[in-house]
Amino acid sequence: MYPGSCFGRKGDNVTEEKSKYIIVGASAAGMAAAHTIRLHDRQGSVTVLSEEPDTPYFRPLIPFVVSGKKRAEDMVLSGCGPYTGRDIFVRTEARVESVNTAEKTVSVQGSGVLAYEKILFATGSRPYIPPEIKGTDTKGVFALRTLAHARNMAKRVKTSDHAVMLGGGLLNLKAAFALLERGLKVTLVVYSPEVLSQLMEPEDAFLIRKAMDTAGLKIKTGCAATHIISEHTGVTGVALDHGGEMSCRMVCIGKGVRPNVEFLNGTNVWIDGGIVTDRYTACSAPDAFAAGDVAVTFKPGSGDRIMTALWTNAVEMGRCAGRNMAGVKTAYSGTLGILNATQVAEEPFVSMGVVHTKDRDFEVYRHATDTTYRKVVFNPQGTRLMGAVFIGDITNAGLYRYVIRGKMPVMHIKRYIMDHTLHYGHVMTGKM
Amino acid sequence: MSQPKEIFVKTHRCVGCLSCTIACAVEHSKSKTLFGAISETPVPKSRVYVQWVEPDGKVPLVCRHCEDAPCMYACISGAISRDENGVVITDTDKCIGCWTCVMVCPYGVIGRHLEEHKAYRCDRCPDREIPACVSACPTGALVYDTVDSFSAKVRNHVSRELLRAERG
Ligand SMILES: Cc1cc2nc3c(=O)[nH]c(=O)nc-3n(C[C@H](O)[C@H](O)[C@H](O)COP(=O)(O)OP(=O)(O)OC[C@H]3O[C@@H](n4cnc5c(N)ncnc54)[C@H](O)[C@@H]3O)c2cc1C
Ligand code: SF4
Ligand code: SF4
Repeated sequence: MYPGSCFGRKGDNVTEEKSKYIIVGASAAGMAAAHTIRLHDRQGSVTVLSEEPDTPYFRPLIPFVVSGKKRAEDMVLSGCGPYTGRDIFVRTEARVESVNTAEKTVSVQGSGVLAYEKILFATGSRPYIPPEIKGTDTKGVFALRTLAHARNMAKRVKTSDHAVMLGGGLLNLKAAFALLERGLKVTLVVYSPEVLSQLMEPEDAFLIRKAMDTAGLKIKTGCAATHIISEHTGVTGVALDHGGEMSCRMVCIGKGVRPNVEFLNGTNVWIDGGIVTDRYTACSAPDAFAAGDVAVTFKPGSGDRIMTALWTNAVEMGRCAGRNMAGVKTAYSGTLGILNATQVAEEPFVSMGVVHTKDRDFEVYRHATDTTYRKVVFNPQGTRLMGAVFIGDITNAGLYRYVIRGKMPVMHIKRYIMDHTLHYGHVMTGKM
Repeated sequence: MSQPKEIFVKTHRCVGCLSCTIACAVEHSKSKTLFGAISETPVPKSRVYVQWVEPDGKVPLVCRHCEDAPCMYACISGAISRDENGVVITDTDKCIGCWTCVMVCPYGVIGRHLEEHKAYRCDRCPDREIPACVSACPTGALVYDTVDSFSAKVRNHVSRELLRAERG
């Protein structure tokens, strides 16, 4: 085990204990904050509480537990990457039931009350299970979010031959590929006209669709599940809205996420969907902050409120919160709601900023070859880059992100942007 | 503790000969010889890039091992960390090829190894005193130095040029 880590579990008595910093949630935002606090405050006690039984791990890696390509030990967070701070006390199986923001205490299920000076809410989000799908509460129905879910899914694979995935978002695609790798037949049921509708428009997705078809994924678009059919051994099939049925032994629901805010019920913390934060990641209670999937933050420039469900944002915001908690006042720069990079089958892609342009007033440029596709989105005046989708060739994506996020004027470099030939040399030689 | 050295670029000196890219690929090959490197599969990759800027500018680009390395914080698998010499390294075993680092590095210096589905970047040549690209550069466009020493020299150099310009 990494020498700087210390872990405790449920039942450890915390009555009348106090920790200078309490962080609720031990994932991207919470752990980034904890390690950042340590950079600025070497003495103050940092306690991170997590309801999960597992010590912190890289959540985006859990599909590899389903596919069998990685073990849980390979995904441990403490000691890896930037998470090398010392004397951070992580308590697992420590569910925070309620918070008293006036007395500045939290109540931990089964082990008493803990006082804080500063607190961070980094409780993330959980899968949304649409109530209109009936019968989801049976064995073999999953919504992949935690390592525990991934282990259960991996077990279920052994008794399944066909898995039906409800929802065509990125998380469900990752789960789908993991199951394909295990040799299952996998069918994706998508209500939208095309997969990945959150990250691109249907006509942008053709290369990805092709890659998915080649990989052997079955896809049904424009249709939804109405209920899960089951017997005592669990799921046996899915009923669809147009009347058909599909038999399967496994279902995975990927219909987006909802923030975990219930533990704040009855407090004066301002909740509007998620926990509303100001420019300094503080929420409306004294000495309380929020970061990650659970926080409502803003877009750079416009200041529009958004919530994101991204590891990268959670880390960035968690770091900012950590600085503020340790007394280093730092403004958060905001985030793009869409900021995704990944590889689907053999197709790498990046989607960032404004990518939905249908019936909206943007200047849009598209270019397609047999193996690549790109769409770049400018403001209506054509003077600023607003968003981009790159498929097949994602060269220099980071520089485009920089241009989008910085709202830089682009007239003099627009040609390079459209040709996808922009590189940092243009910046260094004063072309940008 | 002595200040760690970094690779600096003097853009105006680059003639675009690509010696640095060849030396880098060879250094990161199995055989470590030019002859061996060209016959290896997968083909060894350079981690330094020479970009062309109209009309005749050439700009060598290489990982800066940024102080606040955005790639390291963005990586979703913990594959990127900083070693004791300040070098930002990508652990190939941990990397899952999600390309998040490519999406956040503004300099475009993370390569994608398609055959292995892994990200790669400058490792400052751990087996060498001076990185291969710097040794190979025939014009002095790449410099391996500490920040203080390099900026002092650049300042001297600039002030000499200013002096010369003043004197006409
Ligand atoms: C399969 C999968 C793949 C993904 N891939 C990517 C990707 O490629 N790129 C990307 O950017 N993002 C990806 N994500 C999203 C990313 O994982 C999340 O955005 C990120 O984990 C959010 O971090 P967080 O710290 O806000 O919260 P979470 O990761 O949701 O963690 C919440 C923490 O809070 C704890 N908690 C919750 N309630 C309580 C309570 N009441 N008391 C105590 N503890 C509590 C939990 O135990 C947990 O430790 C992926 C997610 C999944 C599931
Ligand atoms: S890869 Fe890019 S962002 Fe990361 S340290 Fe190197 S130059 Fe900086
Ligand atoms: S490509 Fe590899 S190194 Fe880069 S962010 Fe993804 S896992 Fe990390």
